[in-house]
Amino acid sequence: MIATAASNRRRQRIFLIAGAILAAYALLAPLTSLDAAQSANVPLLADKFWFQIATNIAMFIVMATAWNIIGGITGYAAFGNVAFFGIGAYTTGMLIAKAKWPFLLALPLAPVVAAAFAALVGLPLLRLRGHYFAVASLGVGVAVGELVQNIDYAGQPVFGGASGLFLPIFRIDNRGLFFFYLMSAAAALSIAVTWWMLRSRLGYGLIAIRENEEAASVLGVNTTAYKVAAFALAAALTGLAGGIFSQWNVFVNQDNVFPITYNIQMILMALLGGTGTVFGPATGAVLLYLLIQFLGGTLPISFDLPFVSSDARPIVAQVILGLLLVVVVIFVPRGVIDFFGGRTRLSVAYLRRSLRETSL
Amino acid sequence: MANFVQLVILGLLAGGIYVAVGVGFGLVWGVLNIVNLAHGALVIIGGYITWQLFTALHLDPFLTLPVDAVALFVLGYALQRGVINRIIRAPLLFTFLLTFGLNLVLVNILLLIFGSDFRSVTPAYAGKGFEFGSIVIPYVPLISLGAAILLSAGLAFLLNRTRIGLAINAIAADRDAAQLVGIDLRHAYAVTYGLGAACAGVAGGLIALIQAITPTAGEPYTLQAFVVVILGGLGRVSATVVGGLAFGLVEVFAQSIPGSGSVFANAIAFGLLVLVLVTRPQGLMGRLR
Amino acid sequence: MALRKLALLAVAAVAAFACGTTSAGPTTGSAIILGAPLGLTGSLTKESNLTLQGYNLWLDWINAQGGIVVNGVKHPVTLRYYDDTSSANQSAVLMQKLITEDKANFLLGPYGSAATATDAAIAEQNQIPMVEANGAAQAIFNQGYKYTFGVLSPANKYLQGVVDMAATLNPKPTTIALLSADDNFSLEVANAINDYAPGKGMNVVLFKKYKNGATNLTAEVQAAKAAKPDIVLNSGHLTEAIAINKAAKEQKLNAKIFAYSVGPSTPDFISALGSDANFVYDGSQWTPQVKYTPAFYLSESDYVAAYKAKYPGLGDPDYHVAESTAACLALQRAIENAGSLDPTKVRNALAALDVTVFFGQIKFDPRGINTYKPMVVEQIQNGVHHTVFPATVADAQPMYPTPNWDQR
Repeated sequence: MIATAASNRRRQRIFLIAGAILAAYALLAPLTSLDAAQSANVPLLADKFWFQIATNIAMFIVMATAWNIIGGITGYAAFGNVAFFGIGAYTTGMLIAKAKWPFLLALPLAPVVAAAFAALVGLPLLRLRGHYFAVASLGVGVAVGELVQNIDYAGQPVFGGASGLFLPIFRIDNRGLFFFYLMSAAAALSIAVTWWMLRSRLGYGLIAIRENEEAASVLGVNTTAYKVAAFALAAALTGLAGGIFSQWNVFVNQDNVFPITYNIQMILMALLGGTGTVFGPATGAVLLYLLIQFLGGTLPISFDLPFVSSDARPIVAQVILGLLLVVVVIFVPRGVIDFFGGRTRLSVAYLRRSLRETSL
Repeated sequence: MANFVQLVILGLLAGGIYVAVGVGFGLVWGVLNIVNLAHGALVIIGGYITWQLFTALHLDPFLTLPVDAVALFVLGYALQRGVINRIIRAPLLFTFLLTFGLNLVLVNILLLIFGSDFRSVTPAYAGKGFEFGSIVIPYVPLISLGAAILLSAGLAFLLNRTRIGLAINAIAADRDAAQLVGIDLRHAYAVTYGLGAACAGVAGGLIALIQAITPTAGEPYTLQAFVVVILGGLGRVSATVVGGLAFGLVEVFAQSIPGSGSVFANAIAFGLLVLVLVTRPQGLMGRLR
Repeated sequence: MALRKLALLAVAAVAAFACGTTSAGPTTGSAIILGAPLGLTGSLTKESNLTLQGYNLWLDWINAQGGIVVNGVKHPVTLRYYDDTSSANQSAVLMQKLITEDKANFLLGPYGSAATATDAAIAEQNQIPMVEANGAAQAIFNQGYKYTFGVLSPANKYLQGVVDMAATLNPKPTTIALLSADDNFSLEVANAINDYAPGKGMNVVLFKKYKNGATNLTAEVQAAKAAKPDIVLNSGHLTEAIAINKAAKEQKLNAKIFAYSVGPSTPDFISALGSDANFVYDGSQWTPQVKYTPAFYLSESDYVAAYKAKYPGLGDPDYHVAESTAACLALQRAIENAGSLDPTKVRNALAALDVTVFFGQIKFDPRGINTYKPMVVEQIQNGVHHTVFPATVADAQPMYPTPNWDQR
């Protein structure tokens, strides 16, 4: 045991260094696409498409990490977090498109409004447990999108209606790079918040609630305040991502910013990576997003499917995605984060143990 | 007044579909603790079976419902036995992941087989009905409602009066105790999921009669099943019947609000749901467990 | 049948080969790459596949000619497309990939107004022309974007033809019940009718919005029945059109005219409803019966024949296919006129374009949408689509009034 502890520490260090190098590459490579860099003959490491991908990954890192605060750490299976994304996007979008605010002034209000909304609906909702909370939060997610799209005042849509909001295109140099760093900053912030939380009173209280809410209450944790705080914090981060998205994407409507599939995707990412951990959801976001793009044939590294016509290829890709999810869930039920940090190793024995632990 | 009566009738008739969609979802959720995101895909498979039998063999769509039920039972049994049983002891949300993956697989296999064309079943008697003055009761939705009630009654009978039903109830109460008294959990779980899938298949057959189906047409029904099951109360077939009919009524009356009331049908339904949950977490008819 | 098809293909292949080798005309240049994100899986699969069929029909034809002629050099054409899983956000990712990695020279549109709006912003930011055929919402064209062009008539025209036709009928219908889905395209269609009908002496006695994609529309149909209208108009999509038609029969909603914006033009509408599909009207961008004098490419009848040869068993091409082909034609002619592959020059050539093809006149207003081509009205008569309005292109008289359900 002692020997393996030492080698585990070594492996942990290797993972940490590898992760740092990867993060540094991801953040610095896009700089090589600047005109100035290219005229100085810096070799191109990433093009505009790569920051589109990277910006999306950062966006999902924010959503999955934020979901982890309420769903993973607190143990409340929120199923409607996309409402906060949409509220953030619409807050910033409305301020820019209707009130003509500058983007950087409008952005900080996105998390504020999203958090306020979360606190408001959280008070009744967080009294529910388990499935009931999941379904009620799903309801909030669906209803908010519907209300935003359809509320009229004096015959005029209040929030742009079905036509949505068209924001003016943000006129700066290297726009793609700007939004990449902004979204990456939001991702870093959400990870930092989680890291801080797990070491704070708030985090301990939330974990206590997850493990046994009655006991936590007896021990003097103000469960309502703690839960609402966690919900609002998750909403603020998700809303921030929504706010950035609105100006980045230029066009905001219900289809774009309230997609029900995002609810599922962010949970999938958090579970895939490992819930309740600092880096798990982010890892899951990177892996799942790249997997989806890879199967969709969007990445430069592609693959050919034998016996599949070009018409059927995208459909078969979706089937494969589904099958992969099924296999991963069955064999890696604690998330892939298990393999990092040196606690476990991917081996046949591990897979068999996982299968035995969760099977009937 | 006549309009009000007509709306009540339309609401109950629409509710028949929601009952059929809800009972299978509620059974799987209540007994197996699986939130089955593949439910909508199972529903649509039933729809395609009915459509295929109707188009190719000119069978009456209502006579194809038993075929839907049997085919989907077999599929459901196999899915649970082969796949879902493997994660039963994992945390609850993992059933989301797994069934989401299954949904993706099933929907896209349907797309490969049937393509994206819109299919619908329109028998010769579609659109005809009873007329009492200005009030009409169309046959197809009426028989559908009857079929949904019959399905629920059959399921309730099976759960309360048969050996396998008792085993299912025992699992719902306490899985490990059920195993101690000699119930074969793997088989019982698979039968339960199979029954849920069979109900979904019947629902799909009914849905093919009222709308056009495509491989993705089941997804809204998964969402609605959530509401129906919680509205009635988790864990009892009769509660789901009430939930389904209530949902149909809410939808129709929300739609009949003058002006643009109908676009808020979901907001109203979910708003009501949250209200019910906050004031009566066990649902309209449920009991606390 | 299959043998004949094979023979046709063989002849076409030989012809193409012969053209390619013996023509002493222009030399061959680099390939022109066109890009399009399309919903090949997910909820918009049907319509997206129709769009792709339209693109492919033109692609086969232009490459059989050797490509697009630019200043005497023939450039063969490649189409790159990816599945956006019917998600507007993924459509945006793919647009960036097409522009950056695939080095697409020009862009073709996705299916649907939401994806088109998102993609238009990206085309604008990258200053690459996008010619689209499947986003009719005018909001997209009111943003001052310079690089997005729509070859189709805008949403507000979709059902105006039905109202115009109704005004010519005897006895003249005077009341309209208007049902509309709550997406941007459908609402633009419905709002336009709400404004337009009074000028034609018709009152909108009911205007109800419903949830886009709704499957239970019985309460809407009940409200329409209570309003006792002469005309029932639905502005929505195929699913809702079928649901409304079924509910109308069940609930004995009778009217002189049933007209739906989108849906009846597809073969699916007839196969799903059987004889209940009869008498239904729709506003259509194009029908196989219209007669225009094309400046280039195929005539209507040749186009229909080409479609049936390439996609046998699917019946006539519907307007989604035709408008998608038309987008390619507009782009082709603009490239030829510009005499260059420079995006800005082609953009200017598109803005100045005025050409008539099998689809009708293609000319863009200053916003970039084609307001010059008329919409036509189709009616399903005994299970067959017929063009009934305007009279200049019609191949049949409207069967009017629609008989009550119990008298069919």
